[in-house]
Amino acid sequence: MTNDEILKTAEALRWEVGGDFHESLVENIYTNAAQLADRAISYPDKPPRFDLDRSIDRLVTSRVWGFPIMLLLLMVVFWLTISGANVPSAMLATLFLEIIYPFLKGLAASVGLPWWLDGLLIDGVYLATGWVISVMLPPMAIFFPLFTLLEDFGYLPRVAFNLDNFFKKAGAHGKQALSMSMGFGCNAAGVVATRIIDSPRERLIAIITNNFAMCNGRWPTQILVASIFIGGLVSAQWAGLISALAVVAITLLGVLLSFVVSWGLSRTVLRGEVSTFSLELPPYRPPRIWQTIYTSLIDRTLVVLWRAIIFAIPAGAAIWLVSNITVGGTSLAEYFINWSNPLGILVGLNGVILLAYVVAIPANEIVIPTILMLTTLVLGASGEGTGVMFELDSLKDTEVILRAGGWTLLTAVNLMLFSLIHNPCSTTIYTIYKETGSKRWTLVSAFLPVVMGFAVTFLVAQVWRLLGG
Amino acid sequence: MIDPLNALIIAAILTAISSWLFWPEKGLFWRWQQARQMTRRVLREDALKHIHDCEYHDRRPTVKSLAGSLRITDNEVSELLSEMQDHELVTFEGDQVKLSLQGRSYALHIIRAHRLWERYLADKTGYPEADWHSKSEHYEHLLTPADAEALANELGHPRYDPHGDPIPTAAGELAAIERLTLSNFPLDQPGRITHLEDEPEAVYAQLVAEGLHPGMSIRVVEVTPQRIVFWANGDEHILAPIIAANISVDTFSVEEAPEPVPHDHLNELKPNESVRVIGISKAIRGAERRRLMDLGILPGTTITAELRSPAGELTAYQVRGALIGLRDEQAALIDIEQGRL
Repeated sequence: MTNDEILKTAEALRWEVGGDFHESLVENIYTNAAQLADRAISYPDKPPRFDLDRSIDRLVTSRVWGFPIMLLLLMVVFWLTISGANVPSAMLATLFLEIIYPFLKGLAASVGLPWWLDGLLIDGVYLATGWVISVMLPPMAIFFPLFTLLEDFGYLPRVAFNLDNFFKKAGAHGKQALSMSMGFGCNAAGVVATRIIDSPRERLIAIITNNFAMCNGRWPTQILVASIFIGGLVSAQWAGLISALAVVAITLLGVLLSFVVSWGLSRTVLRGEVSTFSLELPPYRPPRIWQTIYTSLIDRTLVVLWRAIIFAIPAGAAIWLVSNITVGGTSLAEYFINWSNPLGILVGLNGVILLAYVVAIPANEIVIPTILMLTTLVLGASGEGTGVMFELDSLKDTEVILRAGGWTLLTAVNLMLFSLIHNPCSTTIYTIYKETGSKRWTLVSAFLPVVMGFAVTFLVAQVWRLLGG
Repeated sequence: MIDPLNALIIAAILTAISSWLFWPEKGLFWRWQQARQMTRRVLREDALKHIHDCEYHDRRPTVKSLAGSLRITDNEVSELLSEMQDHELVTFEGDQVKLSLQGRSYALHIIRAHRLWERYLADKTGYPEADWHSKSEHYEHLLTPADAEALANELGHPRYDPHGDPIPTAAGELAAIERLTLSNFPLDQPGRITHLEDEPEAVYAQLVAEGLHPGMSIRVVEVTPQRIVFWANGDEHILAPIIAANISVDTFSVEEAPEPVPHDHLNELKPNESVRVIGISKAIRGAERRRLMDLGILPGTTITAELRSPAGELTAYQVRGALIGLRDEQAALIDIEQGRL
C-alpha cells in the first residue's frame, strides 16, 4: 500500500468508528486505569475513623436532627457575631471618632491647614474610612473564623447536602447555602466563596444572587431604622422584640428573593451555561484552630477590609465635596437632592436617601451617617454636622432629625427594603468582576437588584398610599 | 405628587409595553431582529439545504416541497429559484431543479455549520437537547467557512453531530452512510443506535423523552404493524413503527460494544446496599459525564448507597473511598448490575 492509500483507508475507517469515539476512548482509559489501581493497591483494613464519620453523618443528616442541628449552629454563629462585635465596634468607634478625630482636627488647626484641605482629608476621607473599619472589622473578625472552623471540620458540605433539594427546585446548587451564609458576613467574601461550586451555571447564579444575603454593613442600618420607626409603634417593652422581628423578616425576604431570582436566572439568561452536579462530602477532621483563625483573618477579613478601605477613601472625599462645594450658594448635594426628590418621594423614599445610596456605593456602612449629614444640610441647621458625617448616640435625637427631614413609617419600611434590594457595594462589584471575568455578568449583578429595589419600593409606596389614604 | 392609583396604572402600562417589546425570544424587538436577519441570503441558504437534503435521500425537490419547507408561497419559490439560477447555484434539467457544483459546496458549508453548531451546543453548553436544532437553524447562517473551521478545531474535529449525522468536511465531502431504520432492523440481533432524526420536532421530542440517544445498544424483540418492542441499554421501549422509522440502527462494525443486558439504575439502590456499576448512560454528556468519570464512576466500580438527604432527591454514595452526593435524576442515568454485592 502506498502512503496515499493508507491515508485514504484511514479516512474511510474514521467514519465507521462512530460519533462517540473520543468519549469511548477516554472511558476505556479511565476504566483501565481504575482496574490497574484496584489490582495494585490493597487496603489491609478500614481505618476506624471511617465508622465514626458515618455515625456523625447519620446524625447531622438525619430526618429528625438534621435541620435542628443546622439551625442551632447557624444561630450560634450569628449570635456570637452580633453580640460579640458590639463591644469592639463601640471601642473602635470611640477610638477613631472621639479620640483620633479631634486630635487630627487640632493638629490640622495648629499646622494651619486650609479649611478645604482639612475638610476633605479629615472630615471626608478619614471619617469615612474610620466608620467603615469600626463597623466592618469586628463582625468579620468573629464571623469568618467561626465559619471557617465549621468548614474545616467538614460540617458545611453536610449543610449543602441537607438543603440541596430546595436549591435544586430553584435551579441552583446546594453549596449556594454556604456562599449565601458567607454573604451574611460580607457579600464580597460570599462571592469569593462561590468558588466551591464547580458547575459554571450554578456558580453564576450564586454570584448574582449573593447580594440578597444581607451583609453586616447593612445590619446597623436595618436595626437603627427598625428600632426607631417600627419599635416605636408598640409599647416600650415590646419594642425590642418587634424591631428584631422586623429585621429578621427583611433578612428572610432576602433569602426568599435569592431563591426567586435563582429560579428566574436559571430559566432565562443562564439557560445555556454548562451545568453539572456533584457534592463531595469530605471526611471529618479535628479543626486546626489556630491555623484556621490565622488564615481566615489574613485571607478573608483583611483582604476584604483592605478592599473596602480602598473604596471608602474616594467615597469619603466625594461625600465631603458634594456637600461642601457650592454653586450660587447651594451645594452640589442640594442640587441633586432637589432634582431627585420627586423620584424619591414617588417610591416612598426621598432625595436625601437616593443621594446617600449613590455616594455610599463603596460601602453600605456609611449610609446612615451620610443620611444624617445630608438631612441636616437640607434643613439648613447649623452647628454640628453641616457637611460632616455623624451618628448620634441617642435614638430619640436621630428620630427628631429624620422626622424633621420628612420621614414617615413608609419611608422607614421602604428604606429597609431598599437597603436589602439595591446594588452591591463597589467592593463586591469589583470582586464579582474578578471572579467572573465578565463585564456582562458584573453589570447584571449590579443593575438587576437596583431595578428590583425601585420596583418593590414603588409598589409598596403606591399600595400603602391607596390603603392608607 | 402623582396619585398612587395613576402611578400604578402608568407603571403597569410601561411594564406591559416593555415586556411586549423585550420579552425573551417572543418580544417584538427580538422578532424584529430575527426578521432583519431573514434576508434573501437566509432564504437562499435554506433552499439550498432543502434541495441538498432531497438529493441526499434520493427524493425530488419540487416547488411544493420547497414552499412547505421554507414556509413561503409557490410564487415566491419560483422567484427565488430563478434568482438562484442567476447566481449559478442551481441548474434546471427540464422541470427538475438540481444543485450546481457551486451550489453543492455552498449547501455543504451550511450543513457543516449547522451540525458543528449542534455539536458545540451539546458538548460545550448546558442547553437542553430540544433547543439544539432550532438554535443551529439560526447560527448556520452566521458562520463563515473560517468560523466553521475554527469551531471544528476547538471541538476536536468531530465526525458526527449529536444526532448521529455525519458532518461534511471542510473540503466539502459528506460521507454517504447506508442506514437501516429501527422499523426494518432484523429481530433479535444486537445493534446500535446511530442516528435520531431531529425533524419533525414533535417526533424528536418523543424520542428524547424516551431517553434514546445515539450510541445506545439495542435489540428488537417484537415487530407488529402496530408496534415495535425493543431493548435499549437494558430498558424496554415500545414505539409506533412510524416513530421508530426516525431511528437509524447499525450492526456493530469496528468496535464491539457490550450487548444490552437487563440492569437496574443507581437510584434504585437501597441504603447500605453495594453494587457494581455497568456504565453511564449516553444521556449524560459533556462536562457532567467527565465529572462523573473523574469521581471514579466507571464500569466495574463498586458503589454503596450511604446517606439520604433529609430534604430528599439526593443520596450520598461511597465510591472508591470518597463520599459523593448525586441527585436522583443523575443516579437514574447510571446503570448498575441487578445482583447486589
